[in-house]
Amino acid sequence: MAWTLPRHIRDVAERGLDRQVRLAVTGLSRAGKTAFLTSLINQLRHAGLDAQLHLIKASREGRLLGAKRELQPDLSLARFPYDEALSSLGETPPRWPTPTRGMSELRLSIRYKSERPSKRLLGETSTLTLDLIDYPGEWLLDLPMLRQSFLDWSQTMNALLTPSRRTHMAEWLEAQSDLSPDQPADEQQLADLSAHYTEGLHRVRNNGGYFIQPGRFLLPGELAGAPVLQFFPLLSCADWSDEALEALPPESLYKTLKARFDHYLKTVITPFYRQHFQRFDRQVVLVDVLTALNSGPEAFDELRTTMEALMQSFSYGRAGLINRLFAPRIDKLAIAATKADHVTPDQHAALVELLTQLMNEPLNDLRFGDIESKAFALASIAATEARRLEEHDAQALSGTTLEGEHVLMFPGEVPSKLPDAAFWARQGFQFTGFRPRPHTEGPLPHLRMDALLDWLLGDKWQ
Amino acid sequence: MTDPKPPRRFEVPTESAKTAPQPIPSLATAQHFPLESVGARVEETPESDTRAERAVDDALSPPRKRRWGLMTLLSASLVIGGIQCGVQVYEAVIQNDPFSGLWAALGVFGAGLLARSGGKELLRLKRLRRHAKVRKRLENTPLDQPLLADTARHMRVSRDDPHWRSYQNAVNAHHDGDDIRTLFSHHLLGPRDRAASQLITRMSSETAAMVAISPITLLDMGLVAWRNMRMIDRLADIYGLELGYASRLRLYRHVLANLAFAGASEIAVDMGSELLGMNLAEKLSSRAAQGLGSGLMTARLGLRAQRLLRPLPFTRQEQPTLGHVRKALWQQLKRTDERRG
Repeated sequence: MAWTLPRHIRDVAERGLDRQVRLAVTGLSRAGKTAFLTSLINQLRHAGLDAQLHLIKASREGRLLGAKRELQPDLSLARFPYDEALSSLGETPPRWPTPTRGMSELRLSIRYKSERPSKRLLGETSTLTLDLIDYPGEWLLDLPMLRQSFLDWSQTMNALLTPSRRTHMAEWLEAQSDLSPDQPADEQQLADLSAHYTEGLHRVRNNGGYFIQPGRFLLPGELAGAPVLQFFPLLSCADWSDEALEALPPESLYKTLKARFDHYLKTVITPFYRQHFQRFDRQVVLVDVLTALNSGPEAFDELRTTMEALMQSFSYGRAGLINRLFAPRIDKLAIAATKADHVTPDQHAALVELLTQLMNEPLNDLRFGDIESKAFALASIAATEARRLEEHDAQALSGTTLEGEHVLMFPGEVPSKLPDAAFWARQGFQFTGFRPRPHTEGPLPHLRMDALLDWLLGDKWQ
Repeated sequence: MTDPKPPRRFEVPTESAKTAPQPIPSLATAQHFPLESVGARVEETPESDTRAERAVDDALSPPRKRRWGLMTLLSASLVIGGIQCGVQVYEAVIQNDPFSGLWAALGVFGAGLLARSGGKELLRLKRLRRHAKVRKRLENTPLDQPLLADTARHMRVSRDDPHWRSYQNAVNAHHDGDDIRTLFSHHLLGPRDRAASQLITRMSSETAAMVAISPITLLDMGLVAWRNMRMIDRLADIYGLELGYASRLRLYRHVLANLAFAGASEIAVDMGSELLGMNLAEKLSSRAAQGLGSGLMTARLGLRAQRLLRPLPFTRQEQPTLGHVRKALWQQLKRTDERRG
């Protein structure tokens, strides 16, 4: 049997040669992560032949030869369901891929011809190993909890209860109103209350809410039903002093919830952070600006605060050579407004502008941390076609709505600045969901995926 | 802030709506569009320029400085001269004076030739002015597809040109100015850049070899002038655009500088070798060095001309450098030297 390097040593060696990239994709749920990854894999699979990747320099010069799926390195992670996603797009009528739950991974090896003579010495073609990791943005929202105690967290959650949230969480608020920190904990009661709390969180999310903690409650995965996911903020703590709370016996309600909260931090958040998050090289953050714009001012503001909280996780330094071997860190971060095909092409510039304004604070932090970042407006899988109506001198979208109706429409103007109250009063932005175009074979239609890929990975294909 | 445009829904018509004659709806109330209006894709924007565009054009075009006085003087003297010669021919026929008649006929012929070349020159000037306008527009307005289509037309790229076809294939409605610039540079300018680089390398190495071989100062200067002018003309041909007045003048100044270099270095080499009493090998290598110098000057001129001729300015990565020209030059000279030695 031939002697080969163990896989993880080879990974380190490849990383040293700069031939391995871990590209993480995240975004709040329904931001379009699954469609994005499906399209990305699809474009790279067709890169050598028929993909429309004109904005990738290597592809334009005919140096990008194609990509192949490989066995993924981390066998404990779910494999990204690429085939399922593609087949759902090929159905009649075509259907958007089912969203992934939790984290998934897929390894691609990409073949290219290097333009550098030094790299050519090592062989006519080079291979770049690309690990694609997809994880819910909600998990990142948990990271700020690491800096909080249970008491702090309860207070933060209390402050977050806006009138609209109170209506969504009414059941839980009602049920927990007579709880006192010093009463003995009852296992069944805690389970019921957590169930109410989780339901409330789901309702908040479904009604345009974005800031959801703890994030794992929505996508529990294998942890469903475990006591570690059965806790909630204890609002009645506010009436108690710190000393009095500390003096409570271990079986009291406060101490039990606190223990679960700490356990959640230790066994759920920290491992994700250590095992995965710290190992990413490049990051894509997907934001669905258009849906928020459609939902109104409250949802839009919440999207903004949520994205700010989420982006705090990326405050790292730049990857140097030594860092790359021992502690890889994110050195490039792309922020992309998805579903750009749902507005006309003349609105794309405004969409990028709006996204930049929306993410202004986090972008400044990133720049301070010397992380390259750029905003894009893209459509992973273009569902519409832009048309020009000559007689009206206007652009319009032609596509099939989710209900199956063929329409020709102009969805309204995207503001290029953060919308003020006057804008909300005046405008009637009407964002319509479209169903994907029928797809049988060949590359998926997309908008500006190539620009994003060139910016993210272009330096690896030199 | 102006009011944002409201969303509009254009209903897809039924069969009966398609056949029934419909008045063209005004924009204010327009909700229904017949499906036929879907026809043109966004990327196929019409090339007819709008009124606003024409206004910008007029504002940006260089001031029309026609030298009417000079023109009138020249054309009037031509016309009068022609008529006078014609009258002379007539008189000569009447007076039976064959020689003066032939001279006069020759005069008419000469005037005709002059008028023809003058007219040609005027046409070329007009074309130059149009090119100057295109370049100015490319510099001053954000790039869009009709503008680049216009540029390609001025570059005399036909609609069936494979480069133009691949550019059209690559470009899409959602591409912004920078994307279009990248694609245009790659598909249309890339091949021309490569041809231009090859031409510059070849011409400058030829010049270097010729100057290295030629023994006479005047011949050197003549060679350099001839090669340089020819290189500029052929470069202009590659890019399809012709030089504006100002840039042509600037380039000619460089040609003059090159001439001076070739002459001066030839004299210096002659005098130096006499003074120092060099042997043949030393003389040869100093001639090779002189040739290299002239070649490099030519290459620099070529690169400069290329920069001026290219409709879009080079980005920093695309910018060709003297480095690779120098390498090719030195190789060429070494070969010449070996052959002579």
